Amino acid sequence: MIELRGVTLDVGERALLNDIDARIATGEFVALLGRNGAGKTTLLRAIAGLHRLRLGAISIDGTPSAQMRALDRAKRIAFVTGDEIFLESLLVRDVVSIGRFPHHRWWQWNAAPSDDAAVDSALAAVRLEAFAQRLFSTLSAGERQRVWIALGLAQETPILLLDEPTSHLDVGVAHEILALLRRLTRKGKTVVCALHDINEAAGYADRIALLGDGVLLALASPDAVLTEPLLHRAYGIAFARRTALLPDSVLVARPHVGT
Amino acid sequence: MRAAALTVLPLLAAILSLLVGSTSLSPAAVASALLHPHATGVLHTIVWQLRLPRVCIAATVGASLALCGAVLQGMLRNPLVDPYLTGVSAAAAAAIAIAIVAGVSAAATPGIGFVAGLAAALLVAALARRGGGIDSNRLILAGVSLSTLFAAIVTLALVRAQSNQYASTVVAWLAGSMAGRGWPELATAAPYAALGAVLALAVAAPLNALRVGELRARTVGLNVNRAQWIMLAASSLLAASSVVLAGLVGFIGLIVPHIGRRIVGSDARVLLPACASIGAALCMFADAVCRRIVAPAELPIGVLLAFIGVPAFLYLYLRPATTLRRDSVSRSL
Repeated sequence: MIELRGVTLDVGERALLNDIDARIATGEFVALLGRNGAGKTTLLRAIAGLHRLRLGAISIDGTPSAQMRALDRAKRIAFVTGDEIFLESLLVRDVVSIGRFPHHRWWQWNAAPSDDAAVDSALAAVRLEAFAQRLFSTLSAGERQRVWIALGLAQETPILLLDEPTSHLDVGVAHEILALLRRLTRKGKTVVCALHDINEAAGYADRIALLGDGVLLALASPDAVLTEPLLHRAYGIAFARRTALLPDSVLVARPHVGT
Repeated sequence: MRAAALTVLPLLAAILSLLVGSTSLSPAAVASALLHPHATGVLHTIVWQLRLPRVCIAATVGASLALCGAVLQGMLRNPLVDPYLTGVSAAAAAAIAIAIVAGVSAAATPGIGFVAGLAAALLVAALARRGGGIDSNRLILAGVSLSTLFAAIVTLALVRAQSNQYASTVVAWLAGSMAGRGWPELATAAPYAALGAVLALAVAAPLNALRVGELRARTVGLNVNRAQWIMLAASSLLAASSVVLAGLVGFIGLIVPHIGRRIVGSDARVLLPACASIGAALCMFADAVCRRIVAPAELPIGVLLAFIGVPAFLYLYLRPATTLRRDSVSRSL
């Protein structure tokens, strides 16, 4: 369980998010929505321990995050980000193996059988087994995103945070990735995922957290959050409800999880 | 197979280096001298007081520079970085040039160079500091600009020294050479080089994590700041030890990590030992050639490495790049 109490975040000298309270249950899929610059990425980073809180506290399964050592935090929270960087001659398997870092001390030189098993199952989860020996640089955008998710899965953490995993992806690949995240929550993983597409959030998330005006405007079921007044407040434009055209998988994957 | 080759290569270079010099020795003579360490005679002196320390120094210098280059390139994720980036060599050169011109005894100059080199590394690190860590761009800028300043000091010392015999000593030192170095110098520098090597191997896993970027390294739990300080300490110790032993030996620290990555890939746990092995072998081999090629005089090792190494490297490096490009084209088709 992730618990935020009175979390206030600054970026540089500027206040970004104020007094955020939230509880995210184990096995829940929470989508994080808000306009560019609303603080989605910063909030995810704060939960991952990569951004300092000005005020408030974040606790993971009852343990204050600030008291955790970086390696212990990395055993509980994986943070998947798609920032593009050039990887010179790295194989997909090499990249995913880096997710095993928190499970090693510096003197543990060689990979253990449990490392290989974790990397294998992470590759299998994102259906990239056949790509293990491919050069990362030869992959498509969707395949790369799956590699970054596999890196997070190889960490074997109960919590998975993702920063816009569906940006730049076509609708088919995007829904494939969201369906994968949905499957992971069924196995008990907690997923918090920043998204830009409201329909994706509506289709897959148990609850939606909507950021705007420097606060958490709402954290509730998609039906309760995706209302004209709230969306207008978050995005500053008018919305009208029409029947969305969604892939079949959404209907199949649409969960019925009580919160 | 590769592991065996990387073990045998430095041994072969060491044997060759023992046999070759201004006087050629037969393998049997060298073997006999090595097996009887307490014997006396010219042969014994050549092997034990001239050749063997030279071989050990060349191996230490080569391995140190290659390790240092691999650590710095990995830390800054920049393949153009070389061991002298942190200002270690330029400061050592400036201090030694001043010491030589000022007439300080030859025995004291390596120590002066070592201290000046480490002091420069500390200064560069202080300038590159941001928050609790080191900013890559600031490090490169600070290193490059301080190196320029120190190079100017060397030039000034050379101009001042033109009228006397010191200038040639300074030039010999700048060109890189192991002539006249022996056990005492090795005994002084080796512990620092060994410490640097241990620190370098200790950051193998952090170097691996950094291959996917600093942010991701932090998400998998790496304390990037601490890792960077250890990497900087390792590289400064390695560079300073090699500068003290052999002056400015270029090429190895920049190129050997590239050769290593071509052969064993970028996994630091394999790459670092491979670089140490290739660097040591290359340096011992080059030193042997330097002693033989214009005997009884000696060629500066830096000159030889540039003349032989650069074309060989360009061939090695540019050829597989074309193959890679072809692969990616065929994959996308």
